[in-house]
Amino acid sequence: MDSTGIRLDRIRGPVTPRNHSARTIAALSGNPGCARRAVLDAAGVDKQGLAAHVGFPAMAGQSQFAITRGNAFEAQVKANGCAELLTLLREHLSLPIREASYDNLDEVGGNTSREVRHAWTRRLLARAAQSGDDAGTLFDHPLLCLRVGGRPAYLEPDLIAFQLSGRFHVTEIKSFSVIDGQADGDKVAAAVIQSAVYVLAMRDLLAEMGIGPESVADQVVLVCPENFSNRPSAALLDVRKQMTVLRRQLSRLRRIDSLVDVLPPGLTFDLELDRAGVPRRLPAAVAGAVRSVDARYAPECLANCEMCFFCRDEAAGTTSALGRATRDDLGGIEHVATVLHLARGAGQPADDQAEVAQLLRTAARLRAECLGEAV
Amino acid sequence: MPESIEQLDQRAEELRAQVRQALLRGDREGARALRGELRRAERAWHDAIELDEPGPRAGNQAPRGPLLPLREQVHQALTLLTVPAGPRLISSVHEALFVGAIPAARLTSVRRDEERSFRTAPFARPYYLCAALTADLLAPARGLLAVSTWPMERRVIGPLSPRADYLTAAVQIAKNVQRIPMPSTDAMRLLWRFAVNIPGATVEAAQVDPAAVARAAQSELEVHANADTKTRRSAAIRARRQLDEAQQLFGSRLGTVLSAEA
Repeated sequence: MDSTGIRLDRIRGPVTPRNHSARTIAALSGNPGCARRAVLDAAGVDKQGLAAHVGFPAMAGQSQFAITRGNAFEAQVKANGCAELLTLLREHLSLPIREASYDNLDEVGGNTSREVRHAWTRRLLARAAQSGDDAGTLFDHPLLCLRVGGRPAYLEPDLIAFQLSGRFHVTEIKSFSVIDGQADGDKVAAAVIQSAVYVLAMRDLLAEMGIGPESVADQVVLVCPENFSNRPSAALLDVRKQMTVLRRQLSRLRRIDSLVDVLPPGLTFDLELDRAGVPRRLPAAVAGAVRSVDARYAPECLANCEMCFFCRDEAAGTTSALGRATRDDLGGIEHVATVLHLARGAGQPADDQAEVAQLLRTAARLRAECLGEAV
Repeated sequence: MPESIEQLDQRAEELRAQVRQALLRGDREGARALRGELRRAERAWHDAIELDEPGPRAGNQAPRGPLLPLREQVHQALTLLTVPAGPRLISSVHEALFVGAIPAARLTSVRRDEERSFRTAPFARPYYLCAALTADLLAPARGLLAVSTWPMERRVIGPLSPRADYLTAAVQIAKNVQRIPMPSTDAMRLLWRFAVNIPGATVEAAQVDPAAVARAAQSELEVHANADTKTRRSAAIRARRQLDEAQQLFGSRLGTVLSAEA
């Protein structure tokens, strides 16, 4: 293991690392400038536990009901050798009848470790890509690997279908319903960016074996319940745009070693769990450690990061806590107090703030006139 | 003789009046005793109503508890299907074509119990409910149950086997439904669920013809049969050569060996 790996292991402490998922990668690409999240995710820290220990438990992630519903729908679609899914793929995407082979990659001979499953996935997919016919059509829960911030992250698409016009198609099964051909835009967008992560990972995997990116389709198959029933319906979605966004943001995601190098030596987020899993480290000490890594809080974090309440509390009084748009409107000044100070015209603004100060004063004057107040 | 519903109605009404009077008198003890009696009367009323109700399905007066032990019921369903199946399918087949439902959750421990029984006294029972084996690693296939008396070829699962087995199951169910003069709604629904996922099995959306389902399933089966039989046969030969008796029934756990290699 390289020095960065050792360093990240120490930051995490002696617990098993958390898996990066397509969801977290999609979220990561939403806030690539946040060093705190990058370090926590790269080290595989249990953010939920960490946030709860420092006194800011968050309800991030899916609700248990949503997860159960999602799993039930997925199980239904995949039951009996993907019977329902095969029907969909045959009807909408004209999958030939004889292509019905199904491989479950959930476990390999009773072994569910990530490394073994990944190796098995590589083997089967490579065989399928190289030999073409008769080498598998549906691959259930393959385990892919994508390097994020210099560290491998394991990903598990719902299904990969091969032999749809000779290419691999990532298939994503989601339990939100498509009503009258319309689905919730946010949910579709999230599903599409997740699938884009899988397509990227899949292309990486095949590239390692010298197989070109054209063998993985730019289009993904999204399977959702139709209207108010449980009947699945399928749609092809183009992910080219999301792929470009992701690729750019993953490369922009500052390399994790340069982030880790500037952290104080001996830094750790180890909660010192005892045998019963109860943290013994003082919350204040943990919070201190967390603060030593810079965060970039934005209101969007509330939707996709477990540390959000901690960071929001820390960012209180800064303009960025009000959102990027507001911050830009206020001329990029960091603190709300400074903004108010300038708007009231108290004190002399610094040279680089002169222009903003004038705008703010005008805004304050207009507001006062509207409300009939004295400035 | 139990009281009739009308009598119970009347008694509950009287008791309610008495409770109100007792409360007005301030007789808390008396009121409590009367309310206890009222509750008993109401329970008796509910029981009487339930007895009076016609069964949920006419002509299908199922006794409350199943008459056969769980493993026998599973064996029945699997014998009908003739292919390895998951708990959910076993349960719905039993519900539709035999008597009473098997809760799918109760099937999760069946395989483990059977394996324990086999290991303590091998071949003491006429049959065991065992695992289906994956063709590549001869490991137990997830969530599938099979019968130990079946030939190994039927119990190994290659890549095409889930589909082939699905189609075989459809044929079997269709044949069985055909034999019933008045198939229950459950049976028709089960058949319909199979039919919608087999090309050419449903002519009209609302109508399912067992003969048509069997025909359509058979013709798709012919497409896969060759390749599937080949994989299964070679895997079965391997299984018989490499595995001991217990492993042949319950699969080998290659997990540890593989992870050491990786």
